[in-house]
Amino acid sequence: MVSPGPPPAYRLLGGRIPYVDGPLKVTGRAEYTDDLRRPGMLVGRLLRSPWAHARIRSVDLRAAREIPGVVAVLTGDKYPTPFGVLPITHDETAIAVERARYIGDIVAAVAAVDEATAERALAAIRFDVEPLREHSDPRVGVDPVTDPIHARGLRGSNVQKEVLQNFGDVDGAFAHAAHTVRVQGRFSGVTHAFTEPLVTIAEATPDGRLTVTSATQVPHYLHRALSEVLGIPMHRIRVVKPEVGGGFGGKSDPLPHEIACAALALETGRPVRMLLDREDVFYTNHGRHPTENDVRIAADRDGQLLAYDIRALIEGGAWSSFGTVTTYYNGVLAMGPYRVDNFRYHGRRVYTNRPPSGAMRAHGGTNLRYSIEVGLDELAERIGIDPFDLRVRNALAPNSTTVNQFRITSTSFLRCLEAVRRASEWDAVRPRLPYGEGIGLGCGFYISGSNSPIHFAPDIPQSTVHLKVDMDGGIAVHSMQADIGQGSNTLLAAIVAEVLGVDLERVHVQRVDSDVSPIDLGSYSSRVTFMMGNAARQAAERLRDTLVRAAAELLACSPGEVRVGHERFETSSPSERSVPFLDALHAAMRTEGALTASGAYRSPKMGGSYKGARAGTAPAYSFAAYVARAGVDPETGEVSVRKVWAAFDCGRPLNRLAVEGQIEGSIHMGLGQLLGESMNYRGARLMNPALLDYKILTPAQMPEVEVLLVGEDDPEGPFGAKEAGEGPLVATLPAVANAIYDAVGVRCYELPVTPDRLERGIARRRTEHRSWKGVG
Amino acid sequence: MHLDPFELHRPTTVEEAHRLYAERPAGADYLAGGTDLLPNYKMHLNLRPTLISLDRIPELARRDGARVGAMVRLGDLERDADFVGRYPGVARALREIATPLVRASATLGGNLLLETRCFFFNQSEFWRASLGYCLKADGDRCHVVPQKERCYATFSGDLAPALAVLDAEVELAGPGGRRTIPLLDLYDRAGDGIRRTHLRPGEILTSVLLPPAARERSATYSKLRVRPSFDFPELGVAVAARIVDGRATELRIALGGIETCPRRFDELTTPLEGAPLDGPRRRELAAAVQAAVRPVHNTFLPPDYRRRMVGVYVRRALTEVVGATAVP
Repeated sequence: MVSPGPPPAYRLLGGRIPYVDGPLKVTGRAEYTDDLRRPGMLVGRLLRSPWAHARIRSVDLRAAREIPGVVAVLTGDKYPTPFGVLPITHDETAIAVERARYIGDIVAAVAAVDEATAERALAAIRFDVEPLREHSDPRVGVDPVTDPIHARGLRGSNVQKEVLQNFGDVDGAFAHAAHTVRVQGRFSGVTHAFTEPLVTIAEATPDGRLTVTSATQVPHYLHRALSEVLGIPMHRIRVVKPEVGGGFGGKSDPLPHEIACAALALETGRPVRMLLDREDVFYTNHGRHPTENDVRIAADRDGQLLAYDIRALIEGGAWSSFGTVTTYYNGVLAMGPYRVDNFRYHGRRVYTNRPPSGAMRAHGGTNLRYSIEVGLDELAERIGIDPFDLRVRNALAPNSTTVNQFRITSTSFLRCLEAVRRASEWDAVRPRLPYGEGIGLGCGFYISGSNSPIHFAPDIPQSTVHLKVDMDGGIAVHSMQADIGQGSNTLLAAIVAEVLGVDLERVHVQRVDSDVSPIDLGSYSSRVTFMMGNAARQAAERLRDTLVRAAAELLACSPGEVRVGHERFETSSPSERSVPFLDALHAAMRTEGALTASGAYRSPKMGGSYKGARAGTAPAYSFAAYVARAGVDPETGEVSVRKVWAAFDCGRPLNRLAVEGQIEGSIHMGLGQLLGESMNYRGARLMNPALLDYKILTPAQMPEVEVLLVGEDDPEGPFGAKEAGEGPLVATLPAVANAIYDAVGVRCYELPVTPDRLERGIARRRTEHRSWKGVG
Repeated sequence: MHLDPFELHRPTTVEEAHRLYAERPAGADYLAGGTDLLPNYKMHLNLRPTLISLDRIPELARRDGARVGAMVRLGDLERDADFVGRYPGVARALREIATPLVRASATLGGNLLLETRCFFFNQSEFWRASLGYCLKADGDRCHVVPQKERCYATFSGDLAPALAVLDAEVELAGPGGRRTIPLLDLYDRAGDGIRRTHLRPGEILTSVLLPPAARERSATYSKLRVRPSFDFPELGVAVAARIVDGRATELRIALGGIETCPRRFDELTTPLEGAPLDGPRRRELAAAVQAAVRPVHNTFLPPDYRRRMVGVYVRRALTEVVGATAVP
C-alpha cells in the first residue's frame, strides 16, 4: 500500500470552534418553540388515558364543548389514519381510536382560550370504556394472548417484530470452544430527559396552508406524517424547526401531540400552542427499550473469538416506533469492533401496555454492548489474559467485511486501545488497587449514519444543502438538518467557510423551514456530520469553483492556477497576486446575479441481500475504548466514578470542542443509565414520571473525563470525519461495570446498578465465601 | 402543570397571621419558602383556597445565636459562619438538603414541617386519579400497606434529626399564646400519619432554640440517597455526644427519612451514659437501632436495604463522633 502521507491541515476544521449560536443561547436570546407567540393563539391540552388497556365504547363531549372559552374538542375519530416513523409499521395514532393502549395514551385534545379553561374542559369529557386485559410482561406477550394490543402482532401474540439470523456454524463453534461465557443482562427502560419539553405551535391560515413549528429532530418525518394523517399535501404544509433544547432520539419520531396540535389548528382556524408537562414527556417516552438479553460468547484457548449466540427480549410499549430497527440492532451491532465469524441472533420486540419505547442515543447498541463487554471481561479473566490483550487479538481489520456483510472501511480501534491503555496507566495501576477500588475497560462500536434511509423514496439523497450568496457577501445556508444542541449548524458554517476560505461570520445557517430548506433526514443515527458534511462540502466546492473562475478572469490566469486564500483568491503565476473575496463574488454575479449552489449526499450501495441485510449498514463506523476508575463502598454498595479515559475514533474531529462535548455528555448519560435512571413500573403503571424520582446523574457525580481523539481520516467522511454523537455512550457503561467488578468482585447483570443491588451482590459474594483482593 | 389560583396574604405580624387564619374557615396554609408546598399544590395535594405567607414577619427571620427564626432561609443559615461554627452537625445536614437553588428559598421551619412523602402521594392529579386516591389525599385507602386507618408516608426533612440530637426546642405561637416544647414533641408519632404534628389550629412555628449544652457536643449527620444532590433522604442519621476522657455522655441518635416521624433512640442510648463506646458496643448499638425501625416501601430504595443501612450509617456516625477519642 502506498503511504497516504501526512493528513492535510485545515484553517478552521480540526480546531475548537465555538458554537455560532452560542452567544444567543447563553444570553437567552435564542428562539425556541415556546418563545414564539402568535396573535389569537389558543392553548392546546391533551387528555390522557387513565386505563392501561381499554376499548372506548363512547365518549360524551357535550359538557366540555359548552364551557365558555373552549374552542375545540377532538377525539380520535376525526383523524384516525395511523402513522409511525418507519413506513412499514404505522400503528400510532394522534388521538386514540377505539382503544386506549397505555396509561398516558392520548384520548382527547382540547383547544381553549387559556390553560385553566382547557383543563376544565378535559375534566368534563366523559368516556364509557370496557377494560381489557392488561399486558405488561413481554415474557407472556411472546405467546398468543387474549386481547393482543395490536392486530398486527405475530400469530395473535404481542410480538411486534421477530428477527432470526444465523451466519457460519455457531453450534459447531461452541462445541469446539475452549472457553465460553454467558451474560444474561436485564435493563430497565430509560428515557431521554431532554431539557426542553415537547412543544408545538400550529397555525392554519386562510390561504389554505398549515404551519407547524415544533421541537423536532427530524422536520421531514414530521412533515410527512402531518400530510398523511391530516390528508393535506405536503406542499400545503410548512414545518419550521427553531432552536431545540436536546433530543437524544426523543424528538425523532413524528409524535402524536404534534399531529393533535395541528388538528386543533385546523379545527379552530387559530394558532394553537401545545406545551407538554414533564409528566407528559415521560408518557410520550419513545426512549430506550427495557430489555433482557442473553449473550453467549465462544473463544479458543488463546482468546480468539469464535462465535456469538445472542437472544434479546425487547419491551416495546404500546407502539412500534423505531422498534423494527431496534430489534435488528440489538443483534447486528455485535458485529464490531471485533471480528467474529459465527453469529446467531434471535430477537423479539413485544408490545406492552406501557409508554412506547423508541430510539435513544446509541439506539439498539447500548444494552447489547454492555453484555458483550462484560462478557469479554469475564472471558479474559477465565483465560487469564489482560482484557486489553483480548481486545487487541480480536480487533476488526480496516477495509474488511464482517460475516453478515457489513463493510468496514476505516477503523482506529487499535489506536484507541493503545492510547487509553497508556493514558490510564492501566498496567501499572490495575495490580495496585485495593479492595473497593477498581479499574475497568469497555469498548464501543457504532454506526456513522444509517445507510438505509427511512424514506418512501429511498433513492433521493439523504442530505441536500443549498447555498446562496448575494452582493453583501453573506452566505446563506439552507438544509433541513436539525441542530438540536449538538452543533451541526456550527459545523455546517465551518465547512462552507473552510472550502470558500472566508471568515465564519460570513456564513449564516438558516432556520429549518420546509418551504426553503432542502431535505436532510435530520438528527438521528449519528448521520449529520457524515452526510450533511459531505453535502455541504459539495455545495461549497461548487460555489468555490464559480468564484475561482471569476477570480481567474480578474487575475488573468487559468482557474487551475487559482488558490483559495483567506478571504481572497490567489495565484502565484506569473507573480504573487490576489483578488479579495468580494471582488471575485461581484465579478461572478455579473451575468446571473446572486449565486446559488447545491450539494447532496447519498451513501453508497452496501450490505448483503438476505432479509434485514441493510440493518446496521453504514458508510462508516465509530470505535471506542474507555477505561474507568471507580470506588465502591463495600458496605453500602454506593459507587463513585472517579475518572473516565475516553479514547474515541471519530475519524478526524472537525470541531474538537463539539466532539469533546458529545463525549462528556455521552458519558454523563451512560452513567445515568448505569447508576440510577430507570422507568420504574408496577404492572402497566409508570411509578416515577418526574425528574425527582427518575435519577439522572447530577453534576456532583460526574467524574473527570480525559478525551483522547486518535482517529485517522475516514476515506469517505467529510474531511475524514465520522460520527461522535452516539458511539461515545456505549463504552461508558461496561467500562464502569468492569471497574466495579475489579473493586469488589461483583458482576452487575441488572441495570441500573443501584446501591441496594450492589450491596446485595457483595453480600452474596461473601455468603458464597468468594474472597476478593484478600477480603472475604 | 399549572398552579390553581389561590388567595395570598402577606401579614407583617404573627398576630395578623393568626387573625387571617381564623377568618378563613374554608382553610388556609401558612406559606414559608414554598419549595415543598407549591409543588404539592401543583399536584393538587390537599389544596386550600388561601395561603398566608410568613415572609414579611420580621420576628420570624431573626437570627440571634442560639435562637433561629423559622423563616431563616437555609442558604443564609449555611453561610452563617457563626452558626456553622457552633453547630457543625446541623451545618452538615443543611448542606445535604436539596440543591443550592432550593436552599435559597427553603426555610428552617419549612424543613421541620415538611410534608411527608410517598411515591403514591407525590404524584400528579392525573396519576393519583388513575390509580385511585390514597388516604393522605382525597382517598380512603393506603396503597403501601393496604388498610384504611394509617398513612405510612415518610418524614423527609434533614434538619429535624440533626437538631434533635442537640436537644433543640421549638417555639410555637398560637392564637391562644406561645409555648416552647422539645423539637421531637412537635411530631405525633402515635397518630394516624396524616396528622403528623401536635401543632394546634393556626399555630405558627416561630423559632428554633438550641440549648447551651448543644455547643459542647460533637455531632454529625449523614444521609443515604441515590444522588448526592436533589434527593430527599432515604435515611438520615444524626448522632451527637459529649466526649469526656474518651467516654460519651449525652449520647443521642436520631433518624429521619425512615418512618412517618423523625425519631430519637433514648431508650437505647440512655443506658450507655458514660460507658466506653468501643467498637463492639458501637456495632451492638447500631444493630439495636436497626432492629427498632420499620421502613416501608414508599421511597426509591427498597425498605430492607434502607433498614440494613441504618446499622451501617449509625455505626459509622458513632465512630465519627466518639470513635476517635474512645477507649481503645
